[in-house]
Amino acid sequence: MTTDFQLPAIDYQAISPLLILFGVACLGVLVEAFVPRPARRRVQLGMALVGVLAALGAVVLLAGTNVVTAGGSVTVDGPALFMQGALLAFGVVALLLIGERRVEPGGAFVAQPAITVGSEADQRQASAPGATEVFPLAMFSLGGMALFIAASDLLTMFIALELLSLPLYLMCALARRHRLISQEAAVKYFLLGAYASGFFLFGVVLAYGYAGSVDLAAIHAAVDTSQMNPALLYAALALIVMGLLFKTAAAPFHVWAPDVYQGAPTPITAFMAACTKVAAFGALLRVTYVAFERLAWDWLPVIGVIAVLTMLVGAVLAVTQTDLKRLLAYSSIANAGFVLVGVLAVGRTGASSAMFYLVAYGFAVLGAFAVISLVRDREGETTHLSRWAGLGRRSPLVAGVFTVVMLALAGIPLTGGFTAKFAVFSAALEVGEGWLVIAGVVSSVIIAFPYLRVVVMMWLSEPSESTATMVAPGLLTGTALGIGALAVVGLGVVPGPVLDLAHDAALFLR
Amino acid sequence: MTVADVLLLGLGAVAVGAGLCVVTTAHLVRAGLYLVVCLGALAGMFLVLTAELVAWVQVLIYVGAVVVLLLFAVMLTRAPIGASGDLDRPGWPGLLVGAGAGLGLAALFVDAYRWTSVSLPDGPDGPGSAGVLGGELFRSWVLPFEVLSVLLLAALVGAIIVSRPDVGASDRGAER
Amino acid sequence: MLSQAPTLADFGHDTWWVIIIKVLAAFVFGVVMTLLGVWFERRMIGWMQVRPGPNRAGPFGLLQTLADGLKMAFKEDLRPRGSDRLVFLIAPCISAVCALTALAVIPFGPIVSIFGERTPLQVTDVPVAVLVLLAVSALSVYGVVLGGWASGSPYPLLGGLRASAQMISYEVTMGLAVVTVFMLAGSMSTSEIVAAQASNPELSIGGATLAVPGWYVLLLLPTFVIFAISAVGETNRLPFDLPEAESELVAGFMTEYSSLKFALFMLSEYIHMVVASAVITTLFLAGWRAPWPVSVWDGANQGWWPLLWFMGKVVLVMFVFVWLRATLPRLRYDQFMRLGWKVLIPLALGWVLVLGGTRVAQVSDLSRSEQLWLGGAVAAVLLLAVLFWPARRQPSRPSPAEQVAARPPGSFPLPPLDLQVPPSPQARRAVAAKRTAASGRSEAEPAVKRPLEGRAGTDPEGGEQDG
Repeated sequence: MTTDFQLPAIDYQAISPLLILFGVACLGVLVEAFVPRPARRRVQLGMALVGVLAALGAVVLLAGTNVVTAGGSVTVDGPALFMQGALLAFGVVALLLIGERRVEPGGAFVAQPAITVGSEADQRQASAPGATEVFPLAMFSLGGMALFIAASDLLTMFIALELLSLPLYLMCALARRHRLISQEAAVKYFLLGAYASGFFLFGVVLAYGYAGSVDLAAIHAAVDTSQMNPALLYAALALIVMGLLFKTAAAPFHVWAPDVYQGAPTPITAFMAACTKVAAFGALLRVTYVAFERLAWDWLPVIGVIAVLTMLVGAVLAVTQTDLKRLLAYSSIANAGFVLVGVLAVGRTGASSAMFYLVAYGFAVLGAFAVISLVRDREGETTHLSRWAGLGRRSPLVAGVFTVVMLALAGIPLTGGFTAKFAVFSAALEVGEGWLVIAGVVSSVIIAFPYLRVVVMMWLSEPSESTATMVAPGLLTGTALGIGALAVVGLGVVPGPVLDLAHDAALFLR
Repeated sequence: MTVADVLLLGLGAVAVGAGLCVVTTAHLVRAGLYLVVCLGALAGMFLVLTAELVAWVQVLIYVGAVVVLLLFAVMLTRAPIGASGDLDRPGWPGLLVGAGAGLGLAALFVDAYRWTSVSLPDGPDGPGSAGVLGGELFRSWVLPFEVLSVLLLAALVGAIIVSRPDVGASDRGAER
Repeated sequence: MLSQAPTLADFGHDTWWVIIIKVLAAFVFGVVMTLLGVWFERRMIGWMQVRPGPNRAGPFGLLQTLADGLKMAFKEDLRPRGSDRLVFLIAPCISAVCALTALAVIPFGPIVSIFGERTPLQVTDVPVAVLVLLAVSALSVYGVVLGGWASGSPYPLLGGLRASAQMISYEVTMGLAVVTVFMLAGSMSTSEIVAAQASNPELSIGGATLAVPGWYVLLLLPTFVIFAISAVGETNRLPFDLPEAESELVAGFMTEYSSLKFALFMLSEYIHMVVASAVITTLFLAGWRAPWPVSVWDGANQGWWPLLWFMGKVVLVMFVFVWLRATLPRLRYDQFMRLGWKVLIPLALGWVLVLGGTRVAQVSDLSRSEQLWLGGAVAAVLLLAVLFWPARRQPSRPSPAEQVAARPPGSFPLPPLDLQVPPSPQARRAVAAKRTAASGRSEAEPAVKRPLEGRAGTDPEGGEQDG
């Protein structure tokens, strides 16, 4: 027997956020098994919130760490910690939305999604409390995202990608209302996601073929030294980036986004829009900046075209939408394009501006979906634009919050959206990518129209018979709304601290 | 050409052919069986490359469990014997994309490797042996490995919640 | 004198004719053991049921199985019309081939000399031989599943479905159970596992050292129990023969098979039993090594003698298989699945954990007393958890009368619970005929309907209102 086995050195403190998230998720599974049903939701929600906050605390304590650990599979550096922090902050808000049960009796999730829609058993469960397994699933997903950002080799990254996606596919299928489109969304997301994972994995294989390693730093070193045919490397880069762009919902890999955003339960849509975007861009930044930086001149034009396409497609199609969730889906596509502009300004400024943009966008979109979950009629949420006409007269406070969020998304000054766009565009100008900025400004102007149209409809139309009612937000949704609105305004009025933090953090460890 | 080359070429041809059959056949269960052949050929390639552990685990997990579950699902639902007429037949776009991607990647590989040869590891302590694999797994890949188990746990939980039919029925019965 | 126990390095050097002899011998072993196994099983069950069993063909009825086999070969080979021709043919072949393949990695004995060639008495061995065994047994599911599906009729399909679920569930258990064997033996090769059971670990109890036999059936008793149960499940034998449960599914996946294809299924089933016995012998009963009183003699583990010990152990295990079949009734399907997933798998996992923990404690630099304290603490916590686990309150079972009262309105009517004898059917028919005549129906209609109504309702009033 071999007794000379050396245990790997693991810096447990550096990976403590991950360990906390995974630990709480596993505990959540045990809670499902052993805690009596009536108490489960409270225990789960409390545990998940405490877990995420503890992980956030661990991230804050780790500030300034620069270390590669766990057998070289995790890098804890500035960008990883910054984006993990953002991710966990969004996670708290999203968990508040997921835990809400006041707005919809029983919560936004259904207990047994497998029952035939409309059957007697289905009607019986309509008012029954929903599944509490969403909490561990959300925690699994959050843990996967946190690892995705920090992974320092492609294999770990792939596993993290699966871990973050799988619970998302599942949670998409759990909507209480409009169950058929929810299930359709889940299946679409799953099939296309599996396809994208295949692309990513094939890219990993080709990268291994080129560099003889899946480690990002080793690939970086091999770009100069490897004797292999560089076509392998280009193909690897293309396939890996395709897999990642799918998660960021960049055109032409965006087709899943509108259907999935519309079909998924609104808290999950919020979770996806804010957290998945951070995770996917974190990984994209790491792959492009750490492993393929020496090829920047080769991938810049291609991803540049994708960025322009993404912005224009998102903006133009957003104009034609009449459903608010779809509108926000196209807006998220356009915003992915804006972040890509930041990514393309390769360098410290580019990374920091992209990271700041993600923070500003995440809070705004969480706030937007929080409001959407409140506007309802007997059938559940009403997301058609015409039903929102005149809402401002009926419930000015929440409509006001929504207005602020919309203005932020449109990039009006004194909101986080403006600062973020400004940061991204100036970073691109700094490295001389003027064409990206022109496309960005044009699409910002285009996409401002649908946002402002919603605002105008809410405030300037008379409320009519068909105007939906605004449910009073419960404590959880109220808190989420408050956090979203405050962050949006705060990032617009005093962006300095966060900008500095992003700038300090934006150095990748190789 | 050595024996290993011939074996690898033959097994590769079998795997590719079986893979093609999987996507082109209209017999649902036979598609599963072709998948078995494809995965089995892959396991054979691992064997030729002296990765015995990987080869047999491939047989045990993929051939012995995954495809059986697949067949199980097919049989639970319809268990059709003979061709299913309502399947999506591979149309021109599918053929074009599939063939294009396949041939493109094949050309890439052929061009990248040409006549590069790699000598097979010899002896009981090659990179495919159980001891070396175990050491790697618990040394440099320990975190991904553990995360993988978390992923499987998440998948398990998910499988249960999307498929369970009567949550709380027994509890309600007990209350009554 | 060279060591008699083969190591991995001893394999792969045989000349071609030795290989052929060994392969043929393994094949013949499988087939002959089947012939004898069927006879053995029938005689044993006969003995247990106090009847003679087959005793006509040949001495003690030894040739009975051969006669049955010949009879099967001459039967008409039927194939249902809706079946899948190719798969219907292949399925029994898969079963038989997979069952026979497993014999290749079973060590029958130490290094012997065959016509001057020194060679281990085992077809071949690989570093992961036990995985090969598991993989082959996993493949044999295909024979059952495909046979059931290709028959194109419901009972075989149900049998095939059951088989696939059953074998996959019990494979998991089996795989988890053998992990502990790997941990102790430090190898996955069958010959090395046998060799590892030769050493007698010494146990020091209060100063006195005691040599314990190294058989894993003693050292790893929980593993042995779990493995043996799942081996019965894996071979589809009673009490776990749900895929072919004759009282529920006729003969399960074999229903539509006849003639030689059926014979192949029977063959593979018995070879499975032989292989399972041989695997249990190898992993837990020290394979070909001589048992204790014999092992005092030095020559017991040399030359061809070990083959005898091996056969003896295999027959012993097979006897247990037969004994189980004669004793236990078949489990219900859900009970069977619950046993596998909720009892055996957690047990196997927990046992791996316990053994791993012990191992870590041994390697660590804790002192003896600290180790004992640690173990005691863990045991105490477990004990407390078991003792103070909140017991689930059993809901009191409602009385039959309450159950009847709780039924929703419109339920199927029940016969009287006080076992009162209902009025005779003739009397009822007379009453009913009067009523229908009164309600103006034709005579032909009630004549047809009568039996149905008579069964459906003891309450003619209700039936009348429906009409």
